Amino acid sequence: MAATTDTEHEEQTGADGPPEPAARRRGRGAGRIVATAVSVFGELLITAGLVLGLFVVYSLWWTNVVADRAADEQADKVRDNWAEDRVGPDGPGELDTRAGIGFLHVPAMGNGDILVEKGTSMKILNDGVAGYYTDPVKSALPTSGKKGNFSLAAHRDGHGAKFHNIDKIEKGDPIVFETKDKWYVYKTYAVLPETSKFNVKVLDAVPEESGRKKAGHYITLTTCTPVYTSRYRYVVWGELVRTEKVDGERTPPAELR
Amino acid sequence: MYGWIWRHLPGNAWVKALLSLMLAVTVVYVLFQYVFPWAEPLLPFNDVTVDNQ
Repeated sequence: MAATTDTEHEEQTGADGPPEPAARRRGRGAGRIVATAVSVFGELLITAGLVLGLFVVYSLWWTNVVADRAADEQADKVRDNWAEDRVGPDGPGELDTRAGIGFLHVPAMGNGDILVEKGTSMKILNDGVAGYYTDPVKSALPTSGKKGNFSLAAHRDGHGAKFHNIDKIEKGDPIVFETKDKWYVYKTYAVLPETSKFNVKVLDAVPEESGRKKAGHYITLTTCTPVYTSRYRYVVWGELVRTEKVDGERTPPAELR
Repeated sequence: MYGWIWRHLPGNAWVKALLSLMLAVTVVYVLFQYVFPWAEPLLPFNDVTVDNQ
């Protein structure tokens, strides 16, 4: 307010002089508002950039930390359940599989054992595990002994990124599933590097797209591709080669040694 | 904006710096704990399953 009156006063007194100083000063006042607006806008942009950068850190690092912690905890629980059952002579009833049904070992992916749990919802997969499908096509469990397709999904990036190196799996590579008392040794026989996310046929009991026409013991790994996006799905198929009984030391089968 | 916050923090420069750091940490915590987990499923980066939806 004071500035305005001051300006007006000056305008009146300096009537015969050039009106330039007053105009310049008024211009400076408006300029200050514009400058403030621009700087606030700039700061908001910087903030948005930082938030997006933090989101990348969150997605690719922090979710892995959280998921690995959760997966380790659940894996320990599963191993404990197995160990405790072994102590009892015949095991009291059904095995507790809520924390997971077993472990997947894929040496080609080079990331140790992956806990396998029931279901493929984000809530389950975000714990850094692989989930077997219950929907849209129900997965056949190897432990049932029946023919069918053991279909699994896991994250490609973040949340443990258990299937990050799925593209390193080649035809002939072993995929081993470990349960309490059996090793199921599968051999990769087909890879589909890119397919639509609606292609649920890859989960069929006889996945014809893989080239097999007869019922058998199959395993299917699915995840998203290319990395860091979910545009397509990457599929790897394997077939059961043999099973091995778990011995007292849990000696892994030759493929894992 | 940041200048305004700085001017309105109490204390001398050291206290202000410490308070700023604490504010920043709080913001990061809220983002990691609440905002990002909420935003993540809405973004098309992490759908790994095949389905018919």
